[in-house]
Amino acid sequence: MANMIMASTKPLVPVCTSSRSPTPKLPILQISLPKAPTLKLKLPISKPQMLSLLGGIAPLVLARPSLAEEFEKAALFDFNLTLPIIMVEFLLLMVALDKIWFTPLGKFMDERDAAIREKLSSVKDTSEEVKQLEEKANAVMAAARAEIAAALNTMKKETQAEVEQKIAEGRKKVEAELQEALSSLENQKEETIKSLDSQIAALSQEIVNKVLPTA
Amino acid sequence: MNVLLCSINTLKRLYDISAVEVGQHFYWQIGSFQVHAQVLITSWVVIALLLVSAILIIRNLQTIPAFGQNFFEYVLEFIRDVSKTQIGEEYGPWVPFIGTLFLFIFVSNWSGALLPWKIIQLPHGELAAPTNDINTTVALALLTSIAYFYAGLSKKGLAYFNKYIQPTPILLPINILEDFTKPLSLSFRLFGNILADELVVVVLVSLVPLVVPIPVMFLGLFTSGIQALIFATLAAAYIGESMEGHH
Repeated sequence: MANMIMASTKPLVPVCTSSRSPTPKLPILQISLPKAPTLKLKLPISKPQMLSLLGGIAPLVLARPSLAEEFEKAALFDFNLTLPIIMVEFLLLMVALDKIWFTPLGKFMDERDAAIREKLSSVKDTSEEVKQLEEKANAVMAAARAEIAAALNTMKKETQAEVEQKIAEGRKKVEAELQEALSSLENQKEETIKSLDSQIAALSQEIVNKVLPTA
Repeated sequence: MNVLLCSINTLKRLYDISAVEVGQHFYWQIGSFQVHAQVLITSWVVIALLLVSAILIIRNLQTIPAFGQNFFEYVLEFIRDVSKTQIGEEYGPWVPFIGTLFLFIFVSNWSGALLPWKIIQLPHGELAAPTNDINTTVALALLTSIAYFYAGLSKKGLAYFNKYIQPTPILLPINILEDFTKPLSLSFRLFGNILADELVVVVLVSLVPLVVPIPVMFLGLFTSGIQALIFATLAAAYIGESMEGHH
């Protein structure tokens, strides 16, 4: 600490080093003495044995009567009109801050809190709304599905009917053709039978002619 | 002995450099009274700082707060929180008092550490934090005393004075003494801390002007904040104590 103090106070150093004594330590001390003559005078009052660092501060204050005069009015505990003025200032500041900061901002924050809370609760309400909407959507989907199914059914029926009709038509056609074919076959049969009849007469004549010699 | 003389000499120089301004005041005469002008000037600056910033920020409030408004809301919530913890559910009317205590002390302390007051030369004394003058701290502490007496009396009427004989009448002198020790400890704690902090910085700067004082300065900022919080918290605690029911 002492080293730091000495190192920091520059004016001392040249004074201290300008001494002629051989040892480096002593000159500092010798020179410092004439620099403070008042100190030298006052020091004998305090016994050298008692001079601790703490004890050294007491003569330091005593040694400078001029300083003491300078500090005549210096006081840490100097109460005067400043105190009530600060009180009044503080009260005014309190009122002003309350008017322009605490009350309006506090009110604003509380209102915002309330609004946010309200919005949150209203969000909870809309969840029911969402449910209703979902139900509606489901109903719509079911209706659409039913419609589609109905349409499919009708279409199936229609196509079936058409197909059946066509099948019936085909069948009729086939039957008619069959009928025709059968009738034509019958005709041919009769014709061939007729022709066979005439041939039978001729043939039987021939057979009779052959068997019965012409005698 | 000679070593001692040398060190006394340097100490004296140190005293000249650093401690010269301790207890020095720049006096104004008002009528037959004197005031510490440096305290008043810095307190005006502090008050102006608080009011102007508050007016600027609070002027247009937005639902989604910008940076400045966010900060002010945070401070208000902090103050409300401190008041609520110490006073209880009926903290509402006391928020302005506690808040102003905290803000005034905090801004004062930090102005002493951060604003370059020394640039402005006064004929005598120097500008510093208003809170390093005993007048300021005692004024605040007395206001706190008045506040908690008012709180107790308005809540319970004259039954408030029952607290002096509360656990037993034997404690009457101690209970009365408490009313004196509360403002005393409040004011001296703040005054001593701020003054000591500024002195330590000044002395360190005079010893080693570079780098070394910086941690102490940061420590000073920290102490300043803590002291403001302690003052406000204790004031709120005293108010809450005088308002709460007897055990």
